[in-house]
Amino acid sequence: MIQEARARDTTGILAEMADGETNDVEKTRAEDAAEGALAYLTEMSPDLRGGAILGSDGTVLAASGRGDRWGEDAAALLDVADRAGDEAVEQVHIATEQGEVFALRHAGLTAVAVTERFALASLFFFDMRSVLRDLAAGGDGRRADAA
Amino acid sequence: MPPKPHRVLLDRVSGYADEAAAYMRRRRVSRQPFARLYYAGGRASDHAADSLAGGELFVSAGRLIEVAGKRPKP
Repeated sequence: MIQEARARDTTGILAEMADGETNDVEKTRAEDAAEGALAYLTEMSPDLRGGAILGSDGTVLAASGRGDRWGEDAAALLDVADRAGDEAVEQVHIATEQGEVFALRHAGLTAVAVTERFALASLFFFDMRSVLRDLAAGGDGRRADAA
Repeated sequence: MPPKPHRVLLDRVSGYADEAAAYMRRRRVSRQPFARLYYAGGRASDHAADSLAGGELFVSAGRLIEVAGKRPKP
């Protein structure tokens, strides 16, 4: 009952706000959810060194460490990957001597992760996809394991 | 005299574990760096490090690895 009232109030407040303010609130909410999702991914994957979640326009919603660098370098990687073929890539997996890089696009969101060498790619992609699917559905990424 | 059933089961599980450990060892020794792209529909393509696209992919990946830094200690 209280929750219903609170939801009604929240909707009312959001409706009364100017467009700019609503967008800011939505953005903050998306960033909070993405940060939760990234923390969950880190918790689930002991091999993870760092990662980022990007929005559909390329903005960094969450990142471990320097968000600006993650945004630039992830965009550069995806740009190179898109140019390498005749269509947009869905997943990228690059294994080097220093570590492994995974990138995944799903439902307009992008997750990028750097892991230790020999991380299990299929498991990693599964986790990343689950988290993005939950985020895209309006969740916080933590219900990914229930999917 | 036939072995006890639980012995058979234990031997089998140990055998699988040994196989898996050997596979992981071989993988560590023999695996070379690679860049693999996957597209919608399940198509995948490999790019050699000495190709133009492969080289660019490895450079971009190197930058991300640098940004990520070392694994945080638990």
